[in-house]
Amino acid sequence: MKYKVIPEGTIDGKIMPVTVAFLDVKEIEKSGMTQDEAIIEVGKKEEGPTAINIFDPNAVTTTSDGILAEGAIVRMGASDKGRVNKEFGILPMYHMPYSEELIKKETHMIQWKKLYPDRSLYRGPDPADKKIPVHNVVISGRASNNNSATEMMNIVTMDEVLFPILGQLECLHHGDLLVGYTGETVSVGIGMTIAEKFGRVFPHPQFYAGQTAHGSGAYAKTLKQWIPIIACDKKVIAKLTIRAIECGCVPARDIGCSPVVLSIARAMGTEIDYDNISDKAQEELDSVGCTKEWMHETQHLSKEEVIDNADEILPGIYDGKKHKADELLIEKTI
Amino acid sequence: MKLMHTKLPDFIKKMYVAASKEYPQKTMKLKGLENLRSAKLQSLRTGRIENAVAELAHREDIEHIEVDVLPRIPETMHTVVVKGQDRNGTTKKVILEVINILHPTEETEFDGCDDIEDRRPPLGLH
Repeated sequence: MKYKVIPEGTIDGKIMPVTVAFLDVKEIEKSGMTQDEAIIEVGKKEEGPTAINIFDPNAVTTTSDGILAEGAIVRMGASDKGRVNKEFGILPMYHMPYSEELIKKETHMIQWKKLYPDRSLYRGPDPADKKIPVHNVVISGRASNNNSATEMMNIVTMDEVLFPILGQLECLHHGDLLVGYTGETVSVGIGMTIAEKFGRVFPHPQFYAGQTAHGSGAYAKTLKQWIPIIACDKKVIAKLTIRAIECGCVPARDIGCSPVVLSIARAMGTEIDYDNISDKAQEELDSVGCTKEWMHETQHLSKEEVIDNADEILPGIYDGKKHKADELLIEKTI
Repeated sequence: MKLMHTKLPDFIKKMYVAASKEYPQKTMKLKGLENLRSAKLQSLRTGRIENAVAELAHREDIEHIEVDVLPRIPETMHTVVVKGQDRNGTTKKVILEVINILHPTEETEFDGCDDIEDRRPPLGLH
């Protein structure tokens, strides 16, 4: 079975606290192993703290702010010292059956209906499968693979990396990555989630579009500020967010009101549901310059102009440097 | 009923006694309870842990015993009491918050040893 890793160590001086392994459902099928066996075998081979993510490139998923993307993590694992913890080391993501009722409740899922109604959807796990009560996390030894496999930690050194799903999918798509520190703007944006059943971060609908999961005022921008991040090239998030807007999703109504989403709508002059942004969310947005006045300064750029100038238009990430994903990934075989 | 749970200082003392009563030259260290000020520990399990400590102390090839107490579930949920007190030390305002803490699992304590006997009941059958 072939798989790829970004090894534990450093990238541009930023700490990678664990090895991150990328497995493909088809490769696992070809090998004759079950997905759990594949995670255990990769754990044995990698030895050190490792986050192990199994992808179905033909499925779809959503980002925490509600943007649909091609490719999904279907099962996550964590291993350390060659072992996968037998109780807390593996967790499957829930295979969400296509449902008009779900799309009615979760209006951002109109993207699923319009773009890929025939593709499987995976977001977070079913709470009934979880042995750890709150976080969607797997832990083995020092290795923690959290928020449905998008935030990895070494709990002994206490170092952490954010690896948002769009960044991980670029590793599958041979795309470009932006490696840097999370910075204030993304730290705020992470809290601007949408409400989902069995979501990536929250198991039940909790914080709706226009709200903030942080609720910590001016402290929100400091929460993840100095944590390394491996994100997708900003062009990718611009393309997918514009596609969501073209599907009829409105920031702060159907999709989140993160600074990145707002910046794209502002640049194109598309609708933002200003009145639906809660006071707590606005306080956090104000702290990074995304005031109501700023939102109204629309530019009416074309989508091509926004994508071409994504590095300037989309805020966030400090000391970032672009890398070809394939140059950071190492292919291995079991 | 008074024997159903063990006082924290008694638990700590019992472990050291179990390690050294027959072999005073053998040493022991207990880790993981440093942050507890007052607590009652399950007596049934106290006896079994004493038994495990004594069992290892009996072995000729073992000179030192370490007892590490880790959270059974590696995510613990804690209430945080934020208090404001006046100059006389009178508490004037209390805010309750919650924080979840992630912990490493037991693999961090194996030191490369492969002889691991898991005597814990499965989750849900305690």
